[in-house]
Amino acid sequence: MRISRSNVSTEINKTGSWRFVRPGYDEKTAPCSNACPVGQDIARIEMLMGQGMFPAAWETILRENPFPAVCGRVCFHPCERVCNRGEMDSAVGIHHLERFVGDLAIERAYALPHPFYGDEAETDRRATGGKTVAIGGAGPAGLAAAYFLARLGHTCDIYEADSEPGGVLRWGIPWYRLPEDVLKAEISRIVDMGVKIYCQKPITRDFMARAREQYDAVFLGCGYGRSLPLWIPGEEKVLNGLAYLHDIRGGDNTCTGGRAAVIGGGNTAIDVARSLTRLGVEPILVYRRRRQDMPAFDHEVEMALAEGVQLMPLVAPVRIDGGDGGMVLTLQRMRTTRMETAGGRCRVEPDGDRTETLMVDQVYSAIGAEPGENWLFPPEHQPGQLRMSHCILWEHPDARLPVVFGGDLTTPVKSVTDAVASGKQAAMALDTRFRHGGKAIPERLGACRVGDGTALSMEIYLSGRRKTRNPAIVPFSALNTDYFAPAERQAPPVLSPETRCGSFEEVEGAYGRDAAVQEASRCFNCGICNDCDNCRLFCPEVAIYIDGTRCINLDYCKGCGICVVECPRNAMTLEEEAS
Amino acid sequence: MIHSPLPQTDYMASGHVGCPGCGATVAMKFALRALGEKTMLVIPACCWAIIAGSHPQTSLKVPVLHTAFATAGAAASGLRAALDMRGDTETTVVAWAGDGGTFDIGFQALSGAVERNEDFIYVCYDNEAYMNTGVQRSSSTPFGTRTTTTPGTNWKHTRKKNIVEAFAAHRIPYAATASIAYPEDMIRKFQRARELKGGSRFLHVYATCPTGWRVPSDQCIKIARLAVKTRAFPLYEVTDGVRYTLNHDAEPPLPVRDYLSVQGRFKHLTDDDYGEIQAMVDEDWELLKRKVALAPEEARA
Repeated sequence: MRISRSNVSTEINKTGSWRFVRPGYDEKTAPCSNACPVGQDIARIEMLMGQGMFPAAWETILRENPFPAVCGRVCFHPCERVCNRGEMDSAVGIHHLERFVGDLAIERAYALPHPFYGDEAETDRRATGGKTVAIGGAGPAGLAAAYFLARLGHTCDIYEADSEPGGVLRWGIPWYRLPEDVLKAEISRIVDMGVKIYCQKPITRDFMARAREQYDAVFLGCGYGRSLPLWIPGEEKVLNGLAYLHDIRGGDNTCTGGRAAVIGGGNTAIDVARSLTRLGVEPILVYRRRRQDMPAFDHEVEMALAEGVQLMPLVAPVRIDGGDGGMVLTLQRMRTTRMETAGGRCRVEPDGDRTETLMVDQVYSAIGAEPGENWLFPPEHQPGQLRMSHCILWEHPDARLPVVFGGDLTTPVKSVTDAVASGKQAAMALDTRFRHGGKAIPERLGACRVGDGTALSMEIYLSGRRKTRNPAIVPFSALNTDYFAPAERQAPPVLSPETRCGSFEEVEGAYGRDAAVQEASRCFNCGICNDCDNCRLFCPEVAIYIDGTRCINLDYCKGCGICVVECPRNAMTLEEEAS
Repeated sequence: MIHSPLPQTDYMASGHVGCPGCGATVAMKFALRALGEKTMLVIPACCWAIIAGSHPQTSLKVPVLHTAFATAGAAASGLRAALDMRGDTETTVVAWAGDGGTFDIGFQALSGAVERNEDFIYVCYDNEAYMNTGVQRSSSTPFGTRTTTTPGTNWKHTRKKNIVEAFAAHRIPYAATASIAYPEDMIRKFQRARELKGGSRFLHVYATCPTGWRVPSDQCIKIARLAVKTRAFPLYEVTDGVRYTLNHDAEPPLPVRDYLSVQGRFKHLTDDDYGEIQAMVDEDWELLKRKVALAPEEARA
C-alpha cells in the first residue's frame, strides 16, 4: 500500500511575517521601589527571599542601602502603602522582611559582596584616583555618604559631635524601636570598610576654612539637633524632648514620675511620650490639630495610645505657670477650618477665648528642630549651587572646595531613609564631579532615577543589571492576578501593651525563617521576571526558547500576545510592529 | 532557569499555520509533552489536519496518520491492531479530533470502537464549532452561540451535547475533561491516560478559538480559565464510567456572564439569556456534584 508521507518540517514557513504586534521582555519598576526613598529593588529582594536566597537578597539591599536592619525597623515604609498586593488583600510586610534579612546578615556575619558593582573591571578602574572627603555628622546621612563614597573608591573621615556615632539612630530613637546592638553592628560594617569616625569632634567653621588642606570635598549632614522654641511665657520651665531622649539613651533618667504634658504631634513627641510611660510617668500628648493630622506615623500613634498615652487634640499651649510643686499649663482651644496646609493637614484657628488648664508635673516640648548652629543651614540660592532633590552641592567660595549639604538640612521629608537617600545622592554627585566635572551631575544622576520619583539607584549608576529596566511603574491592572491567590499577611510577634510599659524591650518581634519565606512569596514581584516560564509554556508557536535567558524567535512569532497576557507580573510588553 | 515540574520536551515545531493564539495548538503542545516520543496520532478532518502540515510538511515530531472525517475511531483501532501485530505495545495510539469529528461526524465510529474497548486514547479538542470550514455550528456549540449557520436571532437554542457523559455511559476505563489554562492538571491527565493501557481512554480538552469565538488572540488562556472558574467547563475525571472526581472546585464560582460577555459570539445575549444559561450551568454543576458524591472516597481517581 502506498501512502504519501510528509517529511519536511513546517519550520520552512516563517510565520513571523504574519505579525503586526511584537512581544518583548521588558522589566519595569515596581511601585514599592518607586516609593522607596532609596529606591531599593524590592521586587527582586522579595523574589530572592521567597526562594530562600537570603544572602543574595541582602546583597541586593546593600547595593542601595547600608542599613537593612535599621531601616527595617525605623523606616515608615512608604513602599507598603503603594504595594499592589494591597489591592488584593493586604500589602506585603516589606519592612518586616527587610529587618529579618538584616538581622540574619548580622547574626551570620554576611560579608559585603565583592566585586560590589558590575564587574571586576569597574572595581579596578576605581582602585586609583580616589579622593578624600570630610563628613560632618555620623547620623544616617553622613554614614550613608561615607558608605557609598567608600564603595566608589574614596576615603572618608567622619567628624561627630557626640560621644558615639549614629546621630538620631543612636540618640533620638528609643531602644524599644531600635536596639543598640543592631545599630552598632550596621555602623561597624561601615567602619570595617576603612571609614574613620572621630567622635566628640564636630565640624567647625575653623575646620571648614582649613578643610582644603586635607580634603577634596565636605559633606555636611549634621541633622536637626536643636529643638524649636515654643515662644510662650513660662517657656524656661519646659524640658527639651530631644534632650530627654538623648539622656535616656545615654543611661540617665531625669524624670520624676507623676503626670507629664508632651507638646507636639510628631514622631519625637510620640517617642518622648512612649518613653515616659516606660518610666512610670502618665504622659498627655498636647497637639494643636486632630489625631489624623499628626505628622507622626499612624502605627506609632496607635502603639502609644495602646500603651496608655492620652491625646488632647485641638489645644495649643499659651502659658506655663507654677514650679516644682506642679505646673499649670494654660491651653487655647483650637477649631478646624476648611483650609488645608500644603501637606494636606487641616488648618486650625483659635476657638474664640476658650481656654482650659492642665495640671502636670513636667512639660516636654517636641514641636520640631533645627540645625545646632546657624552656619550649617544651607545658604539660599547662591551662585555655584546645585540644588538636588535631597541635597545641595555648593562650590563653597570661602572654603574653596565642593560642599554638600544633606540629611535633615536639605531632605524634603525628615526621615532616616530620606537621610540615607541624601547620603547616596551626595556620593553620586561628588563622584561624578571628581571624575567628570560638576556640569555632568544633573544628567548622570537623572539617568539613575528609579521610576518617576526622586530615588536614585547606585546599581544603575554603576551600570548593573538594573540599568536596562524600564522606569514605567507597574499598576495593579497590568498584573495577571489569576496567578495569585489571596494569602494572609504574616504578623510578627508584638509585645502586649502591659509588657511594653514596663521596659524598653523591643516592641515588635521578627519573622521566623518560614514566615519570612511565606511572606516574601506573597510578593507579586511586579515588573520583574522570576522565571515562572508561563511565556514559554503557553506559546502556541513554540517560538520562545532559553539560551541563557528567554528569547523570542521572531521568525515564527505571530504576535498573538498570549505570553504578554499570561505573564503574571507585567515583565513583558506588546508593541506595534514598525511597518 | 526553569523551576517547573512539567515535562519540558516539545514535539511540535514552529511554522505551523494555526491562527495566532490558537488554543488547539496549545492543547497539542501540552499533550505531546505529556505523552512523549512514543506516540502515533490519528487525525481526521479538523483544524489540526491543516495545522499538522499540508503535504509535504509536518509540524509534529511524532508520526501522524491523516484519515477521513468520520473514521478516527476506526482508524485508531486499526493502527493499534497493526502495531500489536508488529509486537509494538509501547507506542501509544492517540486519535486527535475536533468537536465536529467527535460529537457529530465521527461519533458512530468512536462509539463502536470504545464499545469494543479498543486500546487507544481519544482526544477531542473542543473549539465548539466547525472552525476549519468557517465556523458552522456542531452539536458541541453551546446554547446562545452565534455561528455562520446559527446567525442573527437564530443563534443556537439547544444545549451542548455532554460528550463525557456519553462515553462514561460506554463504561470506558477513563474519561476526563482538561483545559489549556490548567497545564499541570492537563498534563497529569494525559500521563494517566497513557498509563491506563489496554482500553479506551477519552479526553475532552477545552481549546479556545479566537477566530471563531471573536475574541482577541491574547485572551486565549484567560478565557479558558474563565470557563473553569465560572463552572461552564468543569474539570473532572470518570473512571470505569461511574467513579467521578472533581479536580477543580471553582469556589466561589464567578457568574457565567463573566465568561460569555467577553466573547463576540455571545455579544447578542440579553439579561434573560444570561439568566437562562446560568441556570443550565448551575443544574449541570449540581448533577456533577451528586455523581461525585456517589463515588466512595477511596475509589475516586
